[in-house]
Formats: sequence, structure tokens, C-alpha cells
Amino acid sequence: MHKLLLIIAMMAVWLTTHLLQVEEEMAMKTLSQSKRAVNRAAHAAAQQLDKTALSDGELRIHEGAAAQEAARYLAANLQLDGSGTPLPGSFLRHPVEVLVFEVINSEQSFPYVYRNETFEFEALFRQPGVVLIAKVVYPRAFSVIEPIEWEIRGAAELVAH
Amino acid sequence: MKQLLVFVLFAAMLCWILFSPIYKHVVIVRQAVLQQEVDYLLEVGASGTYGYIDGEMLRQSAERMARLGLRPEAVSFEIATTTGADGANPAAPVPRGTGIMLTISYPYENLFMIDRLIGIEPISSDDRMRAFGMKMSEYVP
Repeated sequence: MHKLLLIIAMMAVWLTTHLLQVEEEMAMKTLSQSKRAVNRAAHAAAQQLDKTALSDGELRIHEGAAAQEAARYLAANLQLDGSGTPLPGSFLRHPVEVLVFEVINSEQSFPYVYRNETFEFEALFRQPGVVLIAKVVYPRAFSVIEPIEWEIRGAAELVAH
Repeated sequence: MKQLLVFVLFAAMLCWILFSPIYKHVVIVRQAVLQQEVDYLLEVGASGTYGYIDGEMLRQSAERMARLGLRPEAVSFEIATTTGADGANPAAPVPRGTGIMLTISYPYENLFMIDRLIGIEPISSDDRMRAFGMKMSEYVP
């Protein structure tokens, strides 16, 4: 009888180890995919040239359009609805919160070092650009790991040809 | 005798426990391979040099995936743009401001078949895993 118990105990240990590994692999994937989404959102925001300023020969980011595009690209890449809540097909389950959205515009002198003490983020800009920090919560499928939350940082600068 | 009985009793369960993690791992890795291809094609295709993802890039991508053990003929690519323009035409690249969307999908094949051992109805082999991405084009004519 004790052998039976041993088998069951071994199965439990084995299963937990594997669930842990699957969960960790999924978490890594979620993190890199969220990072890419943040990068693409920042990138899209940084491409929003202010046409009126451009006609005066100044490279400037249109802040309204930048915010709008950042939200749009973040939502599309993470499959969220307009308010940041994940859609049914998304790999996330918790709403994504944009913590920081800042446009480093042409009134700064470049190269410009952006520093954010709260989120411990530093970026060097050679052109006007955008900083985006979003909070993503990992949806745990099995409760074998501690809850994970990431503050994902991304920055992009204007690409001028 | 008793041990043999115990083993027979748990045989299916043991098989599942031993081998199912490997299949699950393959699912995760294949999904990651698809996502990596999406990211790479978007990075290249949306750059200032191209502004499109054409058939040649897709062929090379399928070749890369074949090297990682996927069947290239089963990989399917869908390219769309936010304006509805054709994102696969090298003669008319998508200009800056327009997003290129790429979905790569691949069938699950029989990776979930092993779940039958413990009585779970597996995901159909025709169902497809997907990887998606959208990036704004940098191309300026």
C-alpha cells in the first residue's frame, strides 16, 4: 500500500515541477511580447510629425496624435479594447495600465538624457522621442509561482530621413 | 503481484505524466518561433528601406522555420495594413504612418493527442496557433 502512496506523491512532485516550468516559459514569452508591444507603441508615437512645425523646418512630434497612436498600437499588439482591458483572444487577463507617457519634444537640447527616478529608467535621445512605461500583470494559469507584475519601459525617437 | 497491479492501474497516467510535458514544451517553442518570425519580418518590413513584406521575404521566413522543424507548406502568412493598402507589393511600399499587420499561423497537429490518455478531449489537429504583430512603417518615398 505504501508503494501506491509513493507513486502518487512522486506524480504530484513531477507534475508540480512541470507546471512550474511551463508557467515560467509562458511568463518569459508574455514579457518579451509585452516589451515588443511597448516598443512598437513608442515607435508609432514617435513617428507622428507635427506638419505645421515641419513647414517651419522644425522636427516636432505632434503630442495629441502621438498619444493616440501609442494607445492604438499598444492595444493592437496586446489585443486590448479601448480602455486597456484584454479582449477574449488576448494572452493577458488583467487590464494594462499606461504609467508614463512622455514626449521629449524639440524644445529640449539634444542629445538629451531622460531620467525617471520612480521607474529607474534612463534613455538617451538624439532626436525628439517618446517614453512609454506600461504595467502588465502576468495571468498565472496555475498557482505554482508568485504573482508577477512588470513595469515595461520603452523609448523611441523620431526617424528622420 | 500487487506492484504489477498498481503499475497497470497507473500506466496511462504515468505515460501522460512522463511524455505530455515534452509535447507542451514543443507547443510553447513553436509558438515562440512563430512570434520570432513575426517580430523579425515586421522589423525588416516596416523599416525605412522596405515598407512591405513581399513573397520573397515570406519564402525565406518559411525556410528558416523549416530549419527549426516546422513544415513550410503548413505555415500561413496574412499581411494587412491599417489603411487597407496592399502590404506585400514591393512596387508600392506602405508609407510612414500606416501600420503593417502580420499574422503567422501553424496547425497544432497531434501535439495534444496525448491528453486522450487521461480523458481530456484534445485540441483539434486542424486548429492553428497564431502569432500576431503590428508595426508602423517608417518608409518615406
